[in-house]
Amino acid sequence: MSSHPSASGAAPASSSDAAAAVVVEDLHKSFGPLEVLKGVSVTAREGDVVTLIGSSGSGKSTLLRCINMLEVPDSGRIVIGGEEIGLKTRGGRTVPADHKQVERIRTRLGMVFQSFNLWTHMTILENVIEAPVHVLGVPKAEAVDRARMLLDKVGILAKADAYPVQLSGGQQQRAAIARALAMQPKVMLFDEPTSALDPELVGEVLLVIRKLAEEGNTMVLVTHEMGFAREVSSEVVFLHQGRVEERGPPGKVLVDPDSDRVRQFLSRHLSQGE
Amino acid sequence: MWSSLPRLLGGVPLTLQLVGLALAGGALVAFGTALMRLSSNPVLRGIASGYVFLFRGTPLLVQMFLIYYGLGQFEWVRGSFLWTVLREPYWCAILAMMLNTGAYTSEILRGAIQSVPHGQVEAARACGMSRALAFRRIVLPVAIRQMLPAYGNEIILMVKASSLASTITLMEVTGLARRMIAQTFAVFELFILAGAIYLLINFLAARLIRYAEWRLTPYLRARA
Repeated sequence: MSSHPSASGAAPASSSDAAAAVVVEDLHKSFGPLEVLKGVSVTAREGDVVTLIGSSGSGKSTLLRCINMLEVPDSGRIVIGGEEIGLKTRGGRTVPADHKQVERIRTRLGMVFQSFNLWTHMTILENVIEAPVHVLGVPKAEAVDRARMLLDKVGILAKADAYPVQLSGGQQQRAAIARALAMQPKVMLFDEPTSALDPELVGEVLLVIRKLAEEGNTMVLVTHEMGFAREVSSEVVFLHQGRVEERGPPGKVLVDPDSDRVRQFLSRHLSQGE
Repeated sequence: MWSSLPRLLGGVPLTLQLVGLALAGGALVAFGTALMRLSSNPVLRGIASGYVFLFRGTPLLVQMFLIYYGLGQFEWVRGSFLWTVLREPYWCAILAMMLNTGAYTSEILRGAIQSVPHGQVEAARACGMSRALAFRRIVLPVAIRQMLPAYGNEIILMVKASSLASTITLMEVTGLARRMIAQTFAVFELFILAGAIYLLINFLAARLIRYAEWRLTPYLRARA
């Protein structure tokens, strides 16, 4: 059932690597009869920027969402900072063994969504301090100071007291990045952060993400921006129909891939005026 | 006609009490019922659905009669502590109105909770919020704001429905009007006055709701 593809470069993840920030091993996930992940392994060491690419339906977003358990995998291992997420079977379904553990691990993983998902009834500043204050118990004054610093960093400090509806898509996404950073996460997860943006707003968001990459943040990123992926990634993983088709440094996978599928994918994406 | 007004206005405090207490109790009932209807436990869901089905599907007047005239027929009700409450038409009216508005409001609240964008809940969970915390900090504040217009309707309906309490001997605005009509035969004048009083109460209620909406949704005002 889970026969691994003979694709080139399907390197086994080393589970014993203690410096690994994220280890995903042999992940399987089905939605009903549709098997979206068919045994995928990915490792991100500290400071890595791992980029997941592939056409829609390849499973890259599902894989990312499994890392912080927004989707619960059917089988496989997920290890965050050396701590394995416990899974158990209940009534034929796989569920987290311990919700407290999942919630604790999530505080160390910053998530940025395609559609921003800011809390609409709160100002931008309130969005950024919400989780630090109510989940981590950071004193409010301290959280506000930090939030202002982060909003300044992503370039929207002037919008601190505005509501999400008052911001452009690019500003909302930068606010969402600040919100994720406010938890001081060990790893940042980006799920197609620029796919919902008007083309002229993509650049400002990529600029922020690039800055985070240059600062040495560990990141796992799903994106369709191939040029950007090539510049920031330490490793590129190409997914096809729930399996890793090819993986390696961006200079190889995105420039001279072994797989014909990757080659076709790239020619399609690069011809679209990347 | 105007000379009857002060006496008629004497019924306003009782009308407001009936409505106020019924709405307050009904809000608690609605909150519990909405949570039960959204729970994964089929027994809780069934109980809540049954309650909503019964109290939304039958007339308030019938409910009031059943509680006031009906429950007193049972020996065990009269023998229990419940009787101290249920023998008072005042509490029977409030109980009936409370259960009635609770059923309607629970549906309004359930709809509002379900309409909170899933992405916002997911973002809360992704920050490490527990289900309960995400519900308290994200889902409920958004839902309450979203339900305000529909809930405003419900408040106005309750103000009008309180006139039914006159049928179980309560001397609120409608009850007083009927008693004064029996004494003076000025049917038209007194009901016009009574109607005008309800109109005024509801006008103020509608204003209050709109103000609450305005206060609670700066993010919607901001869009303009």
